[in-house]
Amino acid sequence: MGIKYTIDELIVSRASKEIKDREMVVIGQGIAMAAGVLAKKTHAPNSVILTEAGLLGIEPFKVPLHIADPSCTRGFTYSCDMIDIFTTVVNRGYADVAFLGVGQIDRYGNMNSSYIGNPENFEIRLTGAGGAPEFAGYSKRSVLTMKGGEFVEKLDYFTTPGYVNGGDTRFESGMPEGSGPSVLITTKGVFKFHEETKEMYLAGVHPGVKIDDVLSDIPWDMEVADNLETTPLPTEEELSIIRNFAPDITMGRKLVMEVLINQVMRLFYGQDNGS
Amino acid sequence: MDKFMDSDKLMSASEAISRFVKDGDSFVFANCLYCMPLALAHEIIRQKKKNLMVFQQGGIEEIDQLLESGVINRMVVAYNFRAGGKRLITPLDRALRQGRVVIEEMTNHTLLSMMKAGAMGYPFIPVLSGIRVTDVVKRKGFLGDQRFAEIKDPFTGKDVLVVKGYNPDFAIMHVQRADRAGNAQLWGAMINSKWAALAAKKVIVSAEQIVDTEVVMSSPHLTVVPAHKVCAVVECPWGAHPSEVAGHYDYDLPFRALFFGSASNEEASKAWLDEWVYNVADRQEYIEHYVERFGRDTLLRLKAKPFPSVPADYGFTFKSVWDEKGYSEDLGMDMKGFLKMLEDKGVLLDGD
Repeated sequence: MGIKYTIDELIVSRASKEIKDREMVVIGQGIAMAAGVLAKKTHAPNSVILTEAGLLGIEPFKVPLHIADPSCTRGFTYSCDMIDIFTTVVNRGYADVAFLGVGQIDRYGNMNSSYIGNPENFEIRLTGAGGAPEFAGYSKRSVLTMKGGEFVEKLDYFTTPGYVNGGDTRFESGMPEGSGPSVLITTKGVFKFHEETKEMYLAGVHPGVKIDDVLSDIPWDMEVADNLETTPLPTEEELSIIRNFAPDITMGRKLVMEVLINQVMRLFYGQDNGS
Repeated sequence: MDKFMDSDKLMSASEAISRFVKDGDSFVFANCLYCMPLALAHEIIRQKKKNLMVFQQGGIEEIDQLLESGVINRMVVAYNFRAGGKRLITPLDRALRQGRVVIEEMTNHTLLSMMKAGAMGYPFIPVLSGIRVTDVVKRKGFLGDQRFAEIKDPFTGKDVLVVKGYNPDFAIMHVQRADRAGNAQLWGAMINSKWAALAAKKVIVSAEQIVDTEVVMSSPHLTVVPAHKVCAVVECPWGAHPSEVAGHYDYDLPFRALFFGSASNEEASKAWLDEWVYNVADRQEYIEHYVERFGRDTLLRLKAKPFPSVPADYGFTFKSVWDEKGYSEDLGMDMKGFLKMLEDKGVLLDGD
């Protein structure tokens, strides 16, 4: 019998490999935090994790609900504030890698987390920018993960800079030389950016996913790498770490909501739906 | 700028909000995500304040509650949590579409920089210029051009993005402890607290615990807002529920889900506000209502276990100039010898 994993576990496992040992890692909620902790517990024990809440050197014991919650503040090494993180850490070049979730993304890795539809007459307002523009703009690399987001020819709203208009335009706009998104991991595959044009290309597919199935989501003609990687399966060790540390991530958002609603019914109304 | 020098500002939340909040004021949440001043926010809602403008870094439920109750009509915000992902319409979606609120989109860093500049009394402050390419900078909301500008760095000649400093009329904040004068002590995730509170013209503080000033004096490094900025102090256990406060309680996710679950529906969220805001007199009644509905154990499951900080020792020899026998080692004489020396040196002036 083969190893059994959820799609979220595969993404976390793949994303964690983007962190090298001794790196300073900027992390938000969800998949990013799970990937950061997984890396720290496996191949990158000397990495330092920080969140924009002014918490540096955190050792979360479970996946936080948000970037400042008790799982981040039980023992951390430097208590500063949000301005300190963006200036003394990020602007001074100490942030090696930032993890970001994606709502909409274009061919140069620019992102939208603000509005779906024309902002003047939008369908929904997403969460808004938060810390994404400066983290993606000024960390050396950013690792992007997308679940439920979409590739678009033109963003409805330009929240967060990737490579702007490609080539050197990102650096001409004021962001540090050599910085930028390094990889995008979706539910189907892995994408990287061309060294010179900075255009996104398909670098790998998840096990069992066909190339055409990936490309059918992309509204432009995307280049495909000659030697396409197949995403390695998560190992038993990784799955055990993820499930112990982050069962919420294993479940994915939809299942989490279902479990939470059952918990509400049980706690507050004394009812049990039995699931 | 008003200075608040009274040594005792302890009052109820109701008195604090009615005395210090006017319709049309601007205000800032001097906590975000963590340790949220939700008891104070609910009091603002209960008193049906109108046309307020809010600055908030990252909202979880408070922005939606202020919108649903019609308290705010202008908001400057970087992030607002969406409980239902893309599927559910939020109170913010509704309010924007119906034109009940206007919005200014910022990033976490640039919004807090507006506060930091305001707190320092500066007209503007540089920010990370690369974000000039984004719609956050390019698209203007109700603040128009009173937000971002580009100026020349006088030393390098390069273009620098700056944000304007702001001083909101008041800040609300919740902390672990404060003395009656308003020295407010907070620890845990510090996020925006210091700069948001110091930017405001006055700060309304609620605290889990009111302590003697001696406690503050033994731990001044924990004071984030000094008393002269604080116009009111409210004793308010559970004042941040359902958010969390280190040393006191965890967040209450299932309870939050009750609001999130209702928020997509206008009627249901009004019913939530009736039950948890309008129909309770204050935070104490809110907690009593919680216990009545869900049981004491449901509340107590949130109680914090201790994880104390090692105390900082502020000790020295504390030798004053004169010892208990009236002799000074520093001067090599007693008070009698001291007076004689002054006389001999001729430095004493004759009052006659």
